[in-house]
Amino acid sequence: MMGDQFRKVEQYSPKSSPRGARSPVVSRQDSSGTLKTTILLGKNPSIVPSGPFYLMKEPPAESELTGATNLMAYYGLEHSYSKFSGKKLKEQLSSFLPTLPGVIDSPGQQDNSSLRSVIEKPPIGGKELLPLTSIQLDGFRLHPGALPEQYRYANATPIKKHKNKHKKHKHKEGGLPNQETTVTDAGSDTHEKKHKKQKRHDEDKERKKRKKEKKRKKQKHSPEHSGGLTPSQHSNS
Amino acid sequence: MASSLENLETQLEMFIENVRQIHIIVSDFQPQSQNVLNQKLLALVHGLQEVDKLKSQVQEVHVPLEVFDYIDQGRNPQLYTKDCIEKALAKNEQVKGKIDAYRKFKANMLLELSKTFPNELSKYRAIRGDE
Repeated sequence: MMGDQFRKVEQYSPKSSPRGARSPVVSRQDSSGTLKTTILLGKNPSIVPSGPFYLMKEPPAESELTGATNLMAYYGLEHSYSKFSGKKLKEQLSSFLPTLPGVIDSPGQQDNSSLRSVIEKPPIGGKELLPLTSIQLDGFRLHPGALPEQYRYANATPIKKHKNKHKKHKHKEGGLPNQETTVTDAGSDTHEKKHKKQKRHDEDKERKKRKKEKKRKKQKHSPEHSGGLTPSQHSNS
Repeated sequence: MASSLENLETQLEMFIENVRQIHIIVSDFQPQSQNVLNQKLLALVHGLQEVDKLKSQVQEVHVPLEVFDYIDQGRNPQLYTKDCIEKALAKNEQVKGKIDAYRKFKANMLLELSKTFPNELSKYRAIRGDE
């Protein structure tokens, strides 16, 4: 069976190419030794031998400015580079905008004050800005009195660290009233704690004393010493 | 351009200062402060008008969006500039290194090819010139 199949194939397969071993389209006359060819595409595609090398293209046009040049110097940014790389920049936004009042170092997303939100949800604009009329200003008639605490101190100017340190020593001299109150509150708290500690310490001392005296009593077993305790000590024990 | 930016900066600073003063007035409001408050509110609208007028002068100012992320996180925007400069310098050095390496490679390649294929190389040099 297998032998028959091979015989059939042999019958149909050509023993040699009708045009020989050469490709029918391109003539391979390379008598000059030039191997470089130019392939032209389009309506009439053709292959033209044009030089001694394969795949030799025109080199790309050289640009004047490449990454080989010091671009920092080229654009005159060396001053900016030395300015920023030399000194250590402070991280906080408040150090960049020291005159800006309010707490600006906290993330903007916390109080919906982020610049990103201005871009993502642009505010309504395009309307003409007109000064408020006297009737409109009536809407801003306020009641006398101070604001509730949460609004009063929300936008207070933050005091820098070194200033706080300064205030620890001389907090009587000035500063915001709210800070003074917190400082004094904190002070009274610590004072109370200290006082409590002192109390505990005193009590411990008294207990130890009593124990010592009891020991002495037991050791001596004398009736004279039993009357030695003060009434207060009796009541305490 | 610089002067228009300075103008805008001044206007914004004045606007912020006005708002700060309104905050002080309102924080502990006294009846006699009503007139001052009204003036401040009118100044507020005027300040907005002034800022609005200046917008045409700063149309060509392009701000990279990444700076906003720094500001929104309460960070110094100069850090962004610093990061950009450092990145650009690192990239510049990297690309220069690559270019130098390729130059050396080409020189070596030509040298070795001229040893192995002197005829072809002379033809190549004839086409390409003194490269």
